Amino acid sequence: MTHLTPDELIDALEGVRHQAHLAECERCRRELDDLAAVLADLQQASVPEPSPLFWPHFSARVRTAMDRDAPPAGTWPSWLRWQVLLPLGAAAMIILGVMFSVANQDRAERESAAAALDAPAALDAAAPSDSWVILADLVGEMDLDTATAAGVVAPGVAEQAVLQLTADEQQELTRLLKAELTRAKS
Amino acid sequence: MTHESVFGLPISMVGPSDAIPFADMNDAALVAAAVAGERDAFDVIVERHRRAVYQVCYRFVNNHEDASDLAQDAFVRAWRGLKNFKGQAALSTWLYRIAVNVCLNRVSSRAARTATQAIESVDQFEDVRIEGAQHAMIREERAAVVRTAIAALPKKQRATLIMRTYHDMSHQQIADVLGSSVGAVKANFFHALANLKKSLGTKP
Repeated sequence: MTHLTPDELIDALEGVRHQAHLAECERCRRELDDLAAVLADLQQASVPEPSPLFWPHFSARVRTAMDRDAPPAGTWPSWLRWQVLLPLGAAAMIILGVMFSVANQDRAERESAAAALDAPAALDAAAPSDSWVILADLVGEMDLDTATAAGVVAPGVAEQAVLQLTADEQQELTRLLKAELTRAKS
Repeated sequence: MTHESVFGLPISMVGPSDAIPFADMNDAALVAAAVAGERDAFDVIVERHRRAVYQVCYRFVNNHEDASDLAQDAFVRAWRGLKNFKGQAALSTWLYRIAVNVCLNRVSSRAARTATQAIESVDQFEDVRIEGAQHAMIREERAAVVRTAIAALPKKQRATLIMRTYHDMSHQQIADVLGSSVGAVKANFFHALANLKKSLGTKP
C-alpha cells in the first residue's frame, strides 16, 4: 500500500481529502494524529501581551520613524522622474564634454605655442585621428595674430583673468612665475 | 500627489473634511485617506493592526525588543508602499506579508541560538505537576517552550507555520509571500510540524 505524501498529509490534516485512505491505513492515521497533536499544542501558545503602556509608545515610534523616512511615494522624491533625470543627465554630459574639450583646447594651445610651426609634424607623429588631421591642416600655418583676428583667441583674456585674481592670488602667481623664470635660466 | 479615485472613492470623499472620523472608517477608506496624504489615517491603521503585526514578529524572534523593532520597520515599509496596495487582499494580510518579509530579511542567528538553549529545558517541563493555581503558570511555561521551538525552525518553515497556524493565511497566499509554489508551502508546513514533533514531543 502506498502512503500519503507530506502534501497529502497536510491536506488530510486540514480535512480536505484522503479520508478513505486514512480509514484503511493505520500508519498514515497515526502520523496524522501526531501532526494534529503538535498543531493543537501550537494553537495553545499565545504571544505574551506587552505592557499597556507599550502600544502608545509603539505608535509614537512608528510615527517618528515615518517622519524620518521618505514620503509614501517611495524612496525617490516624486519630482525626480525619468522625464527630469533624462534632460538633467544629458545636460550634465554636455557640460562635461565642453569642459573636457576646453581643457584639451587649452593644452593644445600651450603645446602649439611651444611647437610653433612644427605642429603638423607633431600631430602626424602622434598618429592623429581624422578630426585632428583636418584641424592641423586648418591651423598649422596660423600664428597668434591670425588666430586672434579669426576670433579663436579673444584678446585680453589673460589680462582680464589676472585682474580678477585677489591680491594674495596675484602674489602667488608672481612667485610662481619668478620661480619658473629662475628655473628656465638655470 | 493627485489621485482621481482610490478604491473607487472620489478623492474628495477621503479627505479630512468628511464627517466620518478616521477611527470609524474601514481599512479601505483609511488606506485611501492615507494615500491622499492623511497621516492621521495611517495612525489609525497602525493602531488597528499593531498587535497582530507585533505577534507575527514576536513568533519569529521570540523576544519583545526585536519584535517591536521589526514591527516598527514593517509599518514604515507599509507607509512607503501604501500606494501599491490595491485592495485585492485584506489590509491585514498585506501587512502580515510585509512583516514576514521584514522578519525573513532581518532575523538574526541570535534568536535561533537562544531557542536551541531553551529547547533543552523541555524535559524539565515534563516533570512539573499541574496543581490548582500553578496550572496557568505551567501552561504559560509550555507556551514559552513552544514559541522557542518555533523560533528555532528554519526561516521558511517558520514563516509558513506562523502564517498558516496563527494568521489563517491560505497556502496560495503564503506561496505568494514566499515566492514559492503551493506544493512547497505544504511541504514546508509538514516539515515544520515534523520538526516540532521531534523537539517538543507529542505531549498534548
